Amino acid sequence: MSDLYLLWRNLFRRKLRTFLMMLAIFVAFVIYGVLGSIHYAFEHGVDSSADNRLVVVNKITFIQPLPYSYVGKIAAIKGVKNVTFANWFGGYYQDARNQIGTFAVDPESYLRIYRDDLRIDPAQRDAFIHDRTSMVVGEAIANKYGWKVGDRIPLNSNIFTNKADGSHTWELTVAGIAYAAKESFNTSFIIFQYENFNESKTFGKDTVGWITLETDSAAVNETVAATIDELFANSTAETNTQSEKAFGKAFLAQLGNIALIITLVVGAAFATILMIVGNTMVMAVRERTKEIAVLKTLGFPSWRIWRQVLGESVLLSLLGGVPGLVVAGLLVTVLSKAASGAIPGLALTLPVAGLGLAFMLLLGVVTGFLPAWNALRLNIVTALGRL
Amino acid sequence: MRVFNEIAVVTTICIKSIPQRFWASFSTVVAVGLVVTVLLAFLAMAAGFQQTLRGTGTKDMAILMRAGSQAELNSGVTRDQARLIEEAPGVMKDADGKPLVSPELYVIVDGVKKTAVPADGDLKKAPRSNLTLRGLGPAGIAVRPGLKIVEGRAFKPGTNELMVGRALQKDFAGLNVGDTVKLGTSSWLVVGVFELGGSVFESELWGDTPEVQDLFHRQNVFQSIRARLTGPDALKALSDYATNDPQLKLDVTTEADYYAQQASRTSDLIQKLGWPLAIAMAFGALAGALNTMYSSVAARAQEIATLRCIGFSGTSSFIGTLLESLVLALVGGIVGTLVTWVLFDGLTGSTLGASFSQIVFTFHLTPAVALQGIILALVVGLVGGVFPAWRAARIPIVEAYGTP
Amino acid sequence: MTGQTLIHLQDVSKRFVKGKDTITIFDHLGLSIPAGDFVAVMGPSGSGKTTLLNLLGGIDQPTEGSITFDGGRVDTLTEGQLAGWRAHNVGFIFQFYNLMPTLSAARNVELPLLLTSFGRAERKRRVEAALSLVGLAERADHYPREMSGGQQQRVAIARALISDPKLLLCDEPTGDLDRTTADEILAMLRLLNQEMGKTIVMVTHDPEAAKYARRTLHLDKGRFTERELVA
Repeated sequence: MSDLYLLWRNLFRRKLRTFLMMLAIFVAFVIYGVLGSIHYAFEHGVDSSADNRLVVVNKITFIQPLPYSYVGKIAAIKGVKNVTFANWFGGYYQDARNQIGTFAVDPESYLRIYRDDLRIDPAQRDAFIHDRTSMVVGEAIANKYGWKVGDRIPLNSNIFTNKADGSHTWELTVAGIAYAAKESFNTSFIIFQYENFNESKTFGKDTVGWITLETDSAAVNETVAATIDELFANSTAETNTQSEKAFGKAFLAQLGNIALIITLVVGAAFATILMIVGNTMVMAVRERTKEIAVLKTLGFPSWRIWRQVLGESVLLSLLGGVPGLVVAGLLVTVLSKAASGAIPGLALTLPVAGLGLAFMLLLGVVTGFLPAWNALRLNIVTALGRL
Repeated sequence: MRVFNEIAVVTTICIKSIPQRFWASFSTVVAVGLVVTVLLAFLAMAAGFQQTLRGTGTKDMAILMRAGSQAELNSGVTRDQARLIEEAPGVMKDADGKPLVSPELYVIVDGVKKTAVPADGDLKKAPRSNLTLRGLGPAGIAVRPGLKIVEGRAFKPGTNELMVGRALQKDFAGLNVGDTVKLGTSSWLVVGVFELGGSVFESELWGDTPEVQDLFHRQNVFQSIRARLTGPDALKALSDYATNDPQLKLDVTTEADYYAQQASRTSDLIQKLGWPLAIAMAFGALAGALNTMYSSVAARAQEIATLRCIGFSGTSSFIGTLLESLVLALVGGIVGTLVTWVLFDGLTGSTLGASFSQIVFTFHLTPAVALQGIILALVVGLVGGVFPAWRAARIPIVEAYGTP
Repeated sequence: MTGQTLIHLQDVSKRFVKGKDTITIFDHLGLSIPAGDFVAVMGPSGSGKTTLLNLLGGIDQPTEGSITFDGGRVDTLTEGQLAGWRAHNVGFIFQFYNLMPTLSAARNVELPLLLTSFGRAERKRRVEAALSLVGLAERADHYPREMSGGQQQRVAIARALISDPKLLLCDEPTGDLDRTTADEILAMLRLLNQEMGKTIVMVTHDPEAAKYARRTLHLDKGRFTERELVA
């Protein structure tokens, strides 16, 4: 027998009560695990983009196009290592509700800039570069629609009209499938050859949506951005150049304050269990005032009893919280599959789990503190009614 | 009648003994209150968003866009198509016989939220949000009868003047009458603020179509056509006309349907987030309620047994205990509703709409939403009370003689 | 059987402050108990019996005066030191047994050994020995709620003996038991005194119980009237 055994026996003295407490803690940590993972995926997805990558958009908004000629002009600027561009296609497959992030790009330069984010078979890459009517499909999309290399897919646009037949459809061959080289990279996208698209669209010829570039190093980002914006100042299409990170963050921020909502909900869940468990621990320890007094009489030092009570609440917290995190991990995995890569990097990561563990310890200490303090100060003479 | 009297006595004992277990009862009330607050905050957000978009549409306004384009942003309509629509059947004409048709340009510009303004007030450095800039045709104001200019005046055609929706003006910086707004290379003067029934339009900037076309180099191109309909059957007539003419190939819907469809996706999503969260949290609160009620029954065991001893029925113990639980949960539900009302009702939120631009909406705690919160609270109270009540009803009478 | 002085109380005063009043329990009380003695303390309610036991057991401290145990001062120890002192020197037996309801008989007996450094095997041996001594070897795995009052009190005695203390303090050990069971428990205490040399101080209301002791002290309003037991 050890102190741990005593603690365990006390914890399960009233099985139903302990089970209910564990349930409440379990629920709170499931909520924390799921929401925390989503939050982390959002933040981290943006943070993980390369430091030396800049995005050039039209100053009016990123939805306004830029002239194609800008690409060459930007490439000539000192400090710019690689340049590529993309054009939003407004793509969907079969049903207009099945929207897919589809971009017309220059294959060679696009894949070069995203070399650390995307993994693609070299043969498939070459095929994509050489076939003007081909596309590369992100893993998530390929899985969702069951597309394989060589399939010919009619892709619709809700914006552009095909000169060839006046339809909104472009038929493209799957040249390859791109996998995420970093877990946080979203693979629900399609990229296809810009050149052919540019020649066959009825309007917006020789314009691109935005230009992405790589600088020699993050240190020159600001100078390069300023040079670009100055170069096109007072032209018909002024530009706004910022880091890809800042661009992504600004876009996310527009969805609403996700971080705040998550913090509030998790806060409410924790406040709930803090009330319930804290109160119950006080009751549970008050119930055995006499037993604690007997232990003290037998010669157990106060600190040891204090440690026992605190250990009990910490153990309770862990017994509810750890399974909660495990279930949250499973839920997040299921959710990640269901979202088919729309939230890249969605998983219960080590930092989220670690912080969860810290919260459990904190919860245990906070809920156990008052009863442990009461036990510490307990006077044997009064507690045993020996006056 | 007797059983009612018994229940009344037991219930009184239960309720009166709540203060003896103040902290336990208090924690249940707070837990239920928090659950209800979380649920209602989400539902109030969904309701507010829906109300804003639903309020936007009227059934007697048709909106015409390029076939398959889904949203105004993606659509494209030519001047020729707009002219054809002016002659279409089902389109209302004004007193002078001019058709009430407004070809409109829908583009996105950006602005700074008031909450995002940096401490030094320099808007250039602030994070920017997408805003809708709508170019209105000459009949643009006439096709919207509910429009009220609450400050300043309408823009003058042929000038770089803007009108600002009320919601946008409140939520974004530098959009008051007299302010100058820089869009691209040109400067625009804000001359008026309008209200339009709390609709999405109040999240927009309005200017004269040719000027906006100039700014965006989109001469002779529009995104959509608004047309007032003559009556309930007019939509079909207009729709037949627009779909069958090979020059047109436009999708026709009422504005009401268009915005209702846009609303449903986002508000569905918000509700789908809110309910599972609230239900998960309700399980936590349920654990607390069960615990409190079991300890309540244990504390009153001798009293209950004494009552049973002098002839009270088990039913009255059951119902009395259940009522105690329901009262605690109801108090929690009411507290949660009040907290939501104080903290969230009327709060302004904004999110990206279907066209990548901000829609400003107001959290709205409707009675229907509040009712859902109270129902959730009562379910927690019911489930949290029924098992302990069962135990209370089965307390053996001999407990009355037991030592405490 | 009795030898040199085990416990010595000198000029011990004990006062409580209750509201505005100060209640004096003892005023310059003196007492000597030799090692190997078995003392019964009797007296009416409020005479100070329980407080005396509290002071002897080191769960309460005198307001004035000194308490010496086995040649060392007890009244000067801190609360933490007292806990260790109790663990080594005193075994307690209560009227309502005060066993841990969550622990089996064996675990209850083992409890004080958590305060020692004995290994697992040694503990097991000691627990078995203590339980056999009180005649409950077969009940080792029973929980208090599964045992009669007499059995519970015997477990409590085993717990009091397990760390081999010199002094046993009993507070109405038979107050909750019937005559026959009470006699069994008292006979056991007498045996512990005679065979194992344990010094025992027992507070009781029951003159029959007091007959088992070597001598009886009568306590009244905080003063002793000592009388040798007529055997």
